[in-house]
Amino acid sequence: MSAPNDYLHCPLCGFEFIKQQSACERGCPLGKYCRLVCCPNCHYEFPPELRVVSWWRRLFAPAACPKPPRDLFSLSELNEGDHAELVRLTSEKVSRRNTLAIYGLVPGSRLVLQQKRPSFVIRVGETELALEADIAGELVVKRVAAEGAPNTTS
Amino acid sequence: MSASPTTQHPPAEQTLILVGNPNVGKSVLFSKLTGKFVIISNYPGTTVEITTGHSTFSGKTCAVIDSPGVNELAARTEDARVTCDVLRDHPEATLVQVADAKNLRRALLLTMQLAELKRPMVLVLNMMDELDKVGGHIDVRKLSELLGIPVVPTIAIARTGIHLLEKSLAQAAAPANLTASLKPQPPLSAATTNLPCQEEDYQQNIERLACINEILAQVYTRVRPRKPTFAQRLGWWATQPLRGTLLLALILYFTFWFVGLLGAGTFVNFFENAVFGRHINPIAIRVVDAALPFPHQHRHEASEYKLDIPLAPGRGIELFSSTQQVLSPAYTVEPGAAHGWWNAVIRFIHDFLVGEYGMITMALSYGFAIVLPIVTTFFLLFSVLEDSGYLSRLAVMVNRIFRAMGLNGKAVLPMVLGLGCDTMATMTTRILETRKERVITTLLLALAVPCSAQLGVLMAMTARVSWGAAVFWVALMVAIAFIVGWLAAKLHGGASSDFILELPPMRRPELGNVVVKTLARLEWYLKEVIPLFVLGTAILFFFDKLNLLEKITSFGEPIVTGWLGLPRETANAFLIGFLRRDYGAVYLLDAATGPNATLSPHQILVSMVTITLFMPCIATLFMIARELGKRTAAAITVFVFVFAFFVGGLVHHLGRWIGL
Repeated sequence: MSAPNDYLHCPLCGFEFIKQQSACERGCPLGKYCRLVCCPNCHYEFPPELRVVSWWRRLFAPAACPKPPRDLFSLSELNEGDHAELVRLTSEKVSRRNTLAIYGLVPGSRLVLQQKRPSFVIRVGETELALEADIAGELVVKRVAAEGAPNTTS
Repeated sequence: MSASPTTQHPPAEQTLILVGNPNVGKSVLFSKLTGKFVIISNYPGTTVEITTGHSTFSGKTCAVIDSPGVNELAARTEDARVTCDVLRDHPEATLVQVADAKNLRRALLLTMQLAELKRPMVLVLNMMDELDKVGGHIDVRKLSELLGIPVVPTIAIARTGIHLLEKSLAQAAAPANLTASLKPQPPLSAATTNLPCQEEDYQQNIERLACINEILAQVYTRVRPRKPTFAQRLGWWATQPLRGTLLLALILYFTFWFVGLLGAGTFVNFFENAVFGRHINPIAIRVVDAALPFPHQHRHEASEYKLDIPLAPGRGIELFSSTQQVLSPAYTVEPGAAHGWWNAVIRFIHDFLVGEYGMITMALSYGFAIVLPIVTTFFLLFSVLEDSGYLSRLAVMVNRIFRAMGLNGKAVLPMVLGLGCDTMATMTTRILETRKERVITTLLLALAVPCSAQLGVLMAMTARVSWGAAVFWVALMVAIAFIVGWLAAKLHGGASSDFILELPPMRRPELGNVVVKTLARLEWYLKEVIPLFVLGTAILFFFDKLNLLEKITSFGEPIVTGWLGLPRETANAFLIGFLRRDYGAVYLLDAATGPNATLSPHQILVSMVTITLFMPCIATLFMIARELGKRTAAAITVFVFVFAFFVGGLVHHLGRWIGL
């Protein structure tokens, strides 16, 4: 059961309060046998969560705050089959960037992520390239719609 | 490889150099131009050697040089260095760039770099049929106008467009100035070491690609791609976690069946027992006896022969079997015969040819009957896999596993090739980019990868021990490879290279190509290895005659009998194993499974472990010294020796302690 000082969340309006603040009517006939709490904000009555459940939720539930929309991703965040355009290479090693450039992978090139495991396989034009996960993580890309002619770049 | 062989060809009026990305069909085009075939390969970097041929075009004699495939014109890899060397050594040559028509973008990057050399050149758009299949179209005339050089579409495999190419060679011209903004770089300086990549090079490549995009926009159109072909799908499956693993397991099992059971079982049986045991050896013995008579009597031995189609180890469909008495090299000297010096000389020559350590009865019958069938089946299968484009996909599958050993997936090629021949595999470690990776791969090859000849013998030995022991042997070898590889990676300084690997398209291997390639590898093998068998046997023969064998055996006896717990005769096998380790394994096999087997299963396991880890054959040692230098070779040798005996002894003592 929830302890008196536990924070409660109203499932209807999201208001946060403690049990003592419950807006129960005085003189309720159910008295101490009542298992419900009442939201002081919207007066919605609900059974408080078990403490274990609320712990679980706080530990593992996704953060309530929505993520700001992004248009740049690292290649490893994309899904298999996604089409993308390379925006920049964050690698410090110029030899690594140059190797990718030789295979036609420079900022502005389009690529298709074919698979992620056991290694990344991308397609640049007609070239299929296998990359390691740490190299894939260094490629900053933006998603683009699939297109028939992958060779035409800006 | 240096470019020296190319400088020795007879003077020709014109020189053509074929340049291009890997896997664009340069070698096929070369063979169509000159009529001489070379190794064509799907794995980037197999044609490290350059090939020169001669031909006549419009009345002019012409030398044609096939350079290794490169992706850019900078001496950053071994292959690129060779190509740069070739270009520098022939400043007057006409360049023929071979391009994969499907992948024009990458080809043009190389064209740009070649254009900066200001030499007459022709661009060949090869594999036009495949371009058509993927739904692309190239405006050849427009491309020729833009570049200012002749552009010839071809399908080299079908000989389409070769004639047009021969005609357009006369019109070869220096390309138009495409990248005026770039300052001319000196790519053909005599660089002996790998050039480090500069920020400037990268920026130039970006500019070139921008220029290429403008060209492509004018000449390249693509309709919606057609449905992927089966080969394409197979290529995708081959790198996926589940399907790829299944495919890998299937290929591994087939390899085991084809090389381990068919090659090392049925074929070896046929050549060893039927061809050599019943015909060649007895005939040789009779001929030598007739030519060099001295009083002696050869023994007869029962020879069993069984022809079967194998299904699983120890099981198969028997087609034919027979037992017959054959003449054996072992003989008894008649008592009371004359012991003159003449007889001694004759006997010496007799023994050298057909004795127990004879050239014909031991060297040739081992070399041709035991090793050749195994190596042939392996190289045949390897060529098929190589041409299909599967090997690069295998590298993708095993990259993570190899990372644990401080290597990356590219090292799988030498490792797999090592199962065929460690010497050849040591040579192919050149495709690895850093010295650290070359050293670790070489060490692992020398230590834990048994070659095909040895593998066949070891397979036969596993038949004599329990399943548990066989599994233990495999697990131990794998564990040792990982532990030693991991340790070596930690202890050896330097970084590992990036794993960025191009996956060539999956193709159905061409039968002719596979056969030619297998024959080329076999030729190499016969030239390099049969002499070593002869040499090894000759050394053994003289050791035997001078009674040195006894002495060295007694010297090594404390280690072999005390530490390894093996009978003293096996010291012989280790001595032979120093010359060729599969040879030593054959010797042990005789002791383990021969007519008078002396080894217990426990001893077989100990000798299997020791001989697998043991010093690689002497040819491998020479190859290591050539590739990595004498000091590294010496260090690897000492380590392998000590480690093999150490682990062998450990297995013996632990096994006894546990009570196996």
